[in-house]
Amino acid sequence: MNTDQDGFEPLIVALCCYWCSYTGADLAGTSRIQYPTNIRIVRVQCTGMIHPNLVIEALTGGADGVLVCGCHPGDCHYLDGNLRAKARAEAIEVMLQDFGLEAERFRLNWVSASEGARFAQVVSEMVEQVKKVGPSPYRVPV
Amino acid sequence: MSRTLVIQPVSRVEGHAKVTIQLDDAGNVCDTRVNVVELRGFEKFCIGRPVEEMPRITTRICGVCPWSHHLASGKAIDAVFGADPPPAGKKLRELCNSIAFMEEHILHFYFLAGADFVMGPDADPSVRNVIGIIGKMPEVARRVMGVRRTAATMLEIIAGKSIHPEAVVPGGFSKPLLPSERDQVRSMAGECLELAKFSIDFAKKNIFPQYLDTVNVLGVIETGFLGTVSENGALNLYDGKLRLMSKDGSFVEFAYDQYTDFISEHIEPWSYMKFPYAKRAGHFSMDLGRPSGIYRSNTLARINVCDHIETPLAQAELEEFRKLFGRPAQLTLLYHWARLIELLYNAENVFRLLDDPEITNVETRKTVEPRAARGVGCVEAPRGTLIHDYTTDADGIITNVNLIVGTTHNNAPINMSVRQAANTFIKNGKYDQGILNRVEMAIRAYDPCFSCATHAIDGTVPVKIDIYDHNGRLLDSIVN
Amino acid sequence: MAVRLAQEWLTICGGCEVTILDVGEPLLDILSKLEIVHMPVLMDHKLYGQTGENAQMEIPQADVGIISGGIRNEEHKHLAAEMRKKSKVLIAMGSCACYGGLPALANLSTVDDILEKVYHGSVSTESNGVPHEQIPALTDRVYAIHEVVPVDLKLPGCPPTPEVFVEAVTALLQNTPLILPGKSVCDDCPTIRERKTATALKRPLQPVEFTPGAPMDTVRCLMEQGFLCLGPATNSGCGGEGRTPRCIRAYMPCRGCFGPLADTANPMVDMMGALASVGVDTKQIPDRAATFNRFAGAQGRLRPVPTKGKMPS
Ligand code: SF4
Ligand code: SF4
Ligand code: SF4
Ligand code: FES
Repeated sequence: MNTDQDGFEPLIVALCCYWCSYTGADLAGTSRIQYPTNIRIVRVQCTGMIHPNLVIEALTGGADGVLVCGCHPGDCHYLDGNLRAKARAEAIEVMLQDFGLEAERFRLNWVSASEGARFAQVVSEMVEQVKKVGPSPYRVPV
Repeated sequence: MSRTLVIQPVSRVEGHAKVTIQLDDAGNVCDTRVNVVELRGFEKFCIGRPVEEMPRITTRICGVCPWSHHLASGKAIDAVFGADPPPAGKKLRELCNSIAFMEEHILHFYFLAGADFVMGPDADPSVRNVIGIIGKMPEVARRVMGVRRTAATMLEIIAGKSIHPEAVVPGGFSKPLLPSERDQVRSMAGECLELAKFSIDFAKKNIFPQYLDTVNVLGVIETGFLGTVSENGALNLYDGKLRLMSKDGSFVEFAYDQYTDFISEHIEPWSYMKFPYAKRAGHFSMDLGRPSGIYRSNTLARINVCDHIETPLAQAELEEFRKLFGRPAQLTLLYHWARLIELLYNAENVFRLLDDPEITNVETRKTVEPRAARGVGCVEAPRGTLIHDYTTDADGIITNVNLIVGTTHNNAPINMSVRQAANTFIKNGKYDQGILNRVEMAIRAYDPCFSCATHAIDGTVPVKIDIYDHNGRLLDSIVN
Repeated sequence: MAVRLAQEWLTICGGCEVTILDVGEPLLDILSKLEIVHMPVLMDHKLYGQTGENAQMEIPQADVGIISGGIRNEEHKHLAAEMRKKSKVLIAMGSCACYGGLPALANLSTVDDILEKVYHGSVSTESNGVPHEQIPALTDRVYAIHEVVPVDLKLPGCPPTPEVFVEAVTALLQNTPLILPGKSVCDDCPTIRERKTATALKRPLQPVEFTPGAPMDTVRCLMEQGFLCLGPATNSGCGGEGRTPRCIRAYMPCRGCFGPLADTANPMVDMMGALASVGVDTKQIPDRAATFNRFAGAQGRLRPVPTKGKMPS
């Protein structure tokens, strides 16, 4: 393992659905809730549209972790998009092994539009857990 | 001045190889080697695969004889699962084997090797090929093309796919043959039988007499032979026991899974390459003057080891062949003749199987359960005895693979025949493209498949000279 | 004037070449319009001159070049470059040339691990070294042709069909574009789909359910029967125009030999995602990487699993 892991700042891609989580993230921002800057937020229409391709490509393309955030069960704007996301998350977890990636690098959480603080907390936890496992083996050394 | 000749690539054979010939100061041959320049690593990447996928994976070792790998693999997985396929399953497999043999032997005779005889060994290389044959004998060419297409169609009807099939499954065959399909296939089989008859007559009239001198000198070596026979000693290309014959005609017989007791894979201290040889010889030597343990595989070997052939036309040909050349026949170019006898046998065998009422039985396979086991499967491939040996864990996942393919058995003989041919034809530094083509003809007789042989084993099939001191320490090795 | 054709084979099995011969009698008409200038499987043109007298490898100028097989060693790279240089139009024929093909399963391991197994780890081999004299060095992994030199046309399939080969050559001879269908194997598959996928998967250790002699459109989709079938993620065309896909004809599931639908797609990720969305417990699928990417391991689709957080070098 890297010895210089202490200074390691992971790069994490967050895929947030438009209707709940992205608004939640926005709220965290406007309410000036502190959360780590390691995150790059990408807005998607619904987590149900997140194909595992996106997640795997991000991870094998060098991202240290991928966080997917969607509406709480029952709240999805497209009814069951988030349930499909949950089913796919299981496949993604299985594939992480196939790509030699640690389970910690992927996470699916529900964050509603009003949960700014929760969003910040989810991000902080994600950054912490990815810091523990270190840089992605697919990361191109700079 | 000594120099090195390189023939690259060896052409009109399957796969990649080159020949390196080393000449001494006087311009005479002092060493030859056939370099096989490929490695794919099947033994490595098959590990971890579910064993039932093996018949669909190992086909890609060779697209010219995919059926041989498909069937050897199918028999190996039957053994792994402890399954005995129902009669229709076995017969459909053998039927496909015979049709595939016809395709391959026709391909080799007319498309690969035939040009050396039809156009002549010294012909201009730009016409010494199937295009030249087409120009010279357009009607025959049209017929040959047609029959090969017909044979492929027969396989498609029986198995869905002719190249890289998938119908051989653990415990049998995935698809029954409907009576209507049987009739359709049977109506196509006549065309194949006619071409088989025509081919051997044509060769006996127009080719072999004309090239008898060449047959008597080119690539000639004396060896033992390996092939499969039925319980009663008849030629069998799908199933039976292995018979390993010495050059004096005596033989031993053994079951497939005992192959390691009779065949050793020799390792020269200076080589990474396996050389299968007959274990009871005690040691291995490719020395042209005093060879030891060398045996050959492929058509001539099978024709030599069998006592008789169970189809009438091929049996008549066998008798005539034995009267002319004895048993075992040793002349290397007789591989071509033996190939045509086998072509005839397969064409007849197709009818024998299609006329068997059991062939259309709908029970073609058994259901199997994974288990930890080792299984050995073996068939005669067009290029020689083919052995697949798999080990699995309790989930039926592959943990080990060993493959010995037809061409590998012939590694040492091919090298020896190349050496002999080079010695015979290259004298005092004189050679031209016709002479180098004769060296290649010694290789083509064996119909080697370098793709098969490079499923894993790489590198060199060397005839390399090592210099030892009197303590047996390696002082130097000369690599040309 | 005859069209000049050059053909080379790299990491191959020979099946693509047999496919060309399987065209049958119509091949004679095609051949009469072609002048083959290089084709080791059928012709004696040598790379370094007929008696090996040249120092430089040379393939003659050609209008059309066809390469089968992927790239596995340094010599293959040179041959591909020479073919590209000498061919006006370069065709990658077969899934090996297009996507690495089955030999790219080797990309699951490092080259060192392969050599270790082959030359040290075999029961019957007592070898003490790895061959290295007079043979080209292996490349770090198996590459598709277009990863090494630009390719003008890809004919996928393991092997492609004789029909599509004829179509491609005819199109070139007549200077008309060749349009491949761009559908999936399922689009050509006549089996019945009830849109109810089995959630419990079966290994093909037992037969598919069918009535012998009944037409294909009475057979339930193999995937819906619980057999993993790669049809949804695989290019159509294997059955030929309007005909049942080749493996389905034998009541066997598709293994993807015509390659992924889009050049950048990863069939494993696609299939796992699709299966998960319909409720299949994807953990049950054995040997996922090598099953879903059996013919498409180049282009980075199959790679050695990194250990201890490091990519193997
Ligand atoms: S694509 Fe298939 S048939 Fe063609 S060379 Fe590769 S393995 Fe052989
Ligand atoms: S999944 Fe397989 S069986 Fe089902 S429609 Fe597609 S190709 Fe046919
Ligand atoms: S069904 Fe699939 S694996 Fe079979 S030939 Fe067609 S594309 Fe290839
Ligand atoms: S809209 Fe938020 S998960 Fe579907």
